[in-house]
Amino acid sequence: MADINQIDDIVVVTLAGELDNLQANRIRSTISSSIFTGKVRGIIWDLSRLGFMDSAGIGLILGRMRDLAPYNGETFIINPSPTMEKIFNFSGLGSNIRHGSVESVIGEIGGVLYEK
Amino acid sequence: MRNEMTLSFVAIEENEALARMAMTCFITPLDPTLEEISEFKTIVSEAVTNAIIHGYDCDGTSMVTIRALIDGNKVSMTVEDQGNGIFDVEQAMEPMFTTKPLMERSGMGFTIMESFSDSLSVDSSIGNGTVVRFEKMFSPVTEASRMR
Repeated sequence: MADINQIDDIVVVTLAGELDNLQANRIRSTISSSIFTGKVRGIIWDLSRLGFMDSAGIGLILGRMRDLAPYNGETFIINPSPTMEKIFNFSGLGSNIRHGSVESVIGEIGGVLYEK
Repeated sequence: MRNEMTLSFVAIEENEALARMAMTCFITPLDPTLEEISEFKTIVSEAVTNAIIHGYDCDGTSMVTIRALIDGNKVSMTVEDQGNGIFDVEQAMEPMFTTKPLMERSGMGFTIMESFSDSLSVDSSIGNGTVVRFEKMFSPVTEASRMR
């Protein structure tokens, strides 16, 4: 359901299956712990393999943005389905969406973090 | 075509997936597009989740009931609970409003339901429960797609 990897100081969460209220409750604390382990500069939500998401996904991502706030961490959401993209746009998260590979977004975060 | 169904289940979170799956099967004869399916599933998921967590506080005994009707290419549906009721429906429908911020409810449920349906109405009274009604039009099934 949720694969969590850390690449340098970026947490990559790969979601699969259906992200609803029940699943969000199951994975929330694991994702939070990975943010609190140390210096995390950003989180990438890879939704390429996610089949379904409702507003529970918005709650989960906004909650982790709050976890990241003390570290000034960036949040990126990659490859959501068209329906998910609409949900993110309604919720003000449209500017966090990218289409492309995890590697290309890590490159962008590197740019955002180290060149400003 | 015309078809009708009723589905009732107890208020536990596991039944959010049951409701989505059952309702997706129900609309399959309309030959919906992938986007129509996922929008419809999202509406069902939001309405059922609200009934389970806000209506009944996940009590595991009270029943949520879905009634659905297919008439031509229109699906009409109600999601009903006899639970807590909504104190102020207008406020509940505002984007980002939630009574359960600690559960990380985003407050986007009604906004999503309104955006993905063709009409939405909510009847609620404190202590008596809530009925969410919505309609969604599906693109007509063409002869060409019937042949597939």
